[in-house]
Amino acid sequence: MPDVQSMVAEFVNKLRKRKIEGSQATAKCTVELLRSVISHQRVPHANQAAALIDAVKAVGQQLVAANPVELAVGNVVRRVLHIIREEDLSLTTAAMAGLDLLDASDDDDIDNCKGIGYPAMSAAVVAAAARSTLRPPSLQTLLEGTPESATVPYTSSSGADSESKTADKSSLTRKLKHDVIEGVNQLIHEISGCHEQIAEQAIEHIHQNEVILTLGSSRTVLEFLCAAKEKKRSFRVFVAEGAPRYQGHLLAKELVARGLQTTVITDSAVFAMISRVNMVIIGAHAVMANGGVIGPVGVNMAALAAKKHAVPFVVLAGSHKLCPLYPHNPEVLLNELRSPSELLDFGEFSDCLDFGAGSGSLQVVNPTFDYVPPNLVSLFITDTGGHNPSYMYRLIADYYSADDLVM
Amino acid sequence: MWRSSASFILDKHLNNKPISITHSIDSPPPPSASMADENPNPNPNPISAYYETRAAHHGIVTSEWLEQAQAAVRRYPDHDDSVSPVSGRPFSVIEEFNSWRQQPDLAEAVAAIRALAAVIRSSEATTMMELEIELKKASDTLKAWDTTSISLTAGCDLFMRYVTRTSALEFEDFNSAKSRVLGRAEKFGEISCKARRIIAILSQDFIFDGCTILVHGFSRVVFEILKTSAQNKKLFRVLCTEGRPDKTGVLLAKELAKLDIPVKLLIDSAVAYSMDEVDMVFVGADGVVESGGIINMMGTYQIALVAHSMNKPVYVAAESYKFARLYPLDQKDLEPALRPIDFNVPVPPKVEVERSARDYTPPQYLTLLFTDLGVLTPSVVSDELIQLYL
Repeated sequence: MPDVQSMVAEFVNKLRKRKIEGSQATAKCTVELLRSVISHQRVPHANQAAALIDAVKAVGQQLVAANPVELAVGNVVRRVLHIIREEDLSLTTAAMAGLDLLDASDDDDIDNCKGIGYPAMSAAVVAAAARSTLRPPSLQTLLEGTPESATVPYTSSSGADSESKTADKSSLTRKLKHDVIEGVNQLIHEISGCHEQIAEQAIEHIHQNEVILTLGSSRTVLEFLCAAKEKKRSFRVFVAEGAPRYQGHLLAKELVARGLQTTVITDSAVFAMISRVNMVIIGAHAVMANGGVIGPVGVNMAALAAKKHAVPFVVLAGSHKLCPLYPHNPEVLLNELRSPSELLDFGEFSDCLDFGAGSGSLQVVNPTFDYVPPNLVSLFITDTGGHNPSYMYRLIADYYSADDLVM
Repeated sequence: MWRSSASFILDKHLNNKPISITHSIDSPPPPSASMADENPNPNPNPISAYYETRAAHHGIVTSEWLEQAQAAVRRYPDHDDSVSPVSGRPFSVIEEFNSWRQQPDLAEAVAAIRALAAVIRSSEATTMMELEIELKKASDTLKAWDTTSISLTAGCDLFMRYVTRTSALEFEDFNSAKSRVLGRAEKFGEISCKARRIIAILSQDFIFDGCTILVHGFSRVVFEILKTSAQNKKLFRVLCTEGRPDKTGVLLAKELAKLDIPVKLLIDSAVAYSMDEVDMVFVGADGVVESGGIINMMGTYQIALVAHSMNKPVYVAAESYKFARLYPLDQKDLEPALRPIDFNVPVPPKVEVERSARDYTPPQYLTLLFTDLGVLTPSVVSDELIQLYL
């Protein structure tokens, strides 16, 4: 246990000092950390899922507090919580089905159930009620109310006294953790493989002799464009340099190395060149629940230009970037201000910046991110396929549970 | 060019039907004998009963009254017994519904579901199918009685779906199934109150300190949102539209002033004038339609258009049981709901008056919907309805 605590503390430190860059790397490290937390967590015999959930939530809160702007951390914590709940549910329904068979042969267990004050309902009803706790609330379940019966399986299984049932119970304990860790491993695999999944779809979107515009540098975009190149599509790429870090220059070098015809332009030239462009493709830092996109600074400008000239604006995002929160004030709350030294070298303008003298009134602001509202985005390409911005809520309902939204 | 719109055909059809209740005021009221057979509504006056009730609520509702009403609602089991047919009169679901509807704090759908619960309680059916048939008949009666109320229709449909699906889940005996359905129906009032509280909590993040909110109409859900924000010590300002002819703005302003929220009253025409100092618009909904649009008090569409053109977000607060299976294509595509409008001066008889009480706001002008199912974009509504009905 102590080494898990130190691992968590170390990771929190790294997040706070922004030592890990990129949402994919952050997401992978977070998931691996949570996997160690789960495997080291000792669980009681009853209500094991709740214990796991509490442990993961406690660690998750620390991680999110360390770097609230890196939304991938929160996303991945919520994914793990959802996995725990799902595995627990599938085990419970399997146990209920097993109990049902045993009940049929064992008369006094039925009386036992009735003794708890449990109405005579079949296992199907209980399973349906338990499943409804996992799904997000919907009109179908509105009248069904709180399924108290979901907790009854625990008491009825712990109250049973036949030999076979106690053997089931202890194997259940081990099975839950095992299933959860399997689910988490699958999640890690999914996060690592998101680039390939997205790049596979490149051939459907990029056609012959097209001109693509991109901004800054995103590994997803690079893989996407190269995949289309592999399939023998010939097209040109305009890269907006992405001041002040000029990562567009690095992307341009990579593209040229892979044999693509590339043109570098300044960010301010986007509006001038947009009429010659067929499609804008950018990589997102995070995708919000309403379909809005958080991307590198300058993206909103490209989106507005694209809208004005009716150019499709395509956003590439792995599923770990999908955030279930709504952006109430994204420019302020979800933005990070980097060091102004990226804009001005130390020593330049030092007389204007000198606050001590009382005459300094020059401020330098260097935001990292930009928010693009959903009506400017034409298509999202995730590892599950292409989607409309208004479809994002569906993916969120699939990947996350409603109880985990507020951590 | 009203002749060229699709709804012209509907209007013509309605005008031609002599027994139809929703025709224009110029044709004479039909003989009540034949009407009583066709339509259980004894009221030949083509005024929408739904909006009349709302007007009655607005006349009396104050925060003290609301508290009293809530306390009264909690004691409902005693009230219910007194309403049961002791006098030997045949059980009338409409009377039951009306008695519930008069309570100002109760949502329409809750009143409808309580009425249907009373049907179950007084039914002598011995199988689920019989019960369902009785319920269907009662629900059709209620819907025909007031065709303009959307939450009534939606509430009835929701309850019918729930009953049909519950019976499919193999309850072992009829009485326990019946008592379970009855229990859930009676709990629905709590669900409705809980829904309002959930909506209020969800919308707290969207109201920031120093913001200005424009509100139209007196929605109890929106009032709950503002009350919760005030209790959380948020500093914000509210602009209320006057809301002619219901005077909802004045009433809302009175209530908000009691909570020490700075309020400013606007006449309905001053909305565009004040829109640039507004940060967000909050409205309730009488019904949420399949396209994701809403049906609400007259004037909502106007405000949504102005807000959209000035890039202000329009937030709708509606409980999920208001989702209805309607898809209006234009403003006249709804059941006409008419209200008496008083201009304070006599209007010459040759002059027509537009007396519709509500309008339809298409989904592209709405930003987000706050419901008890969560914060949703308008496209989620059709998904929810499909899951429920298909």
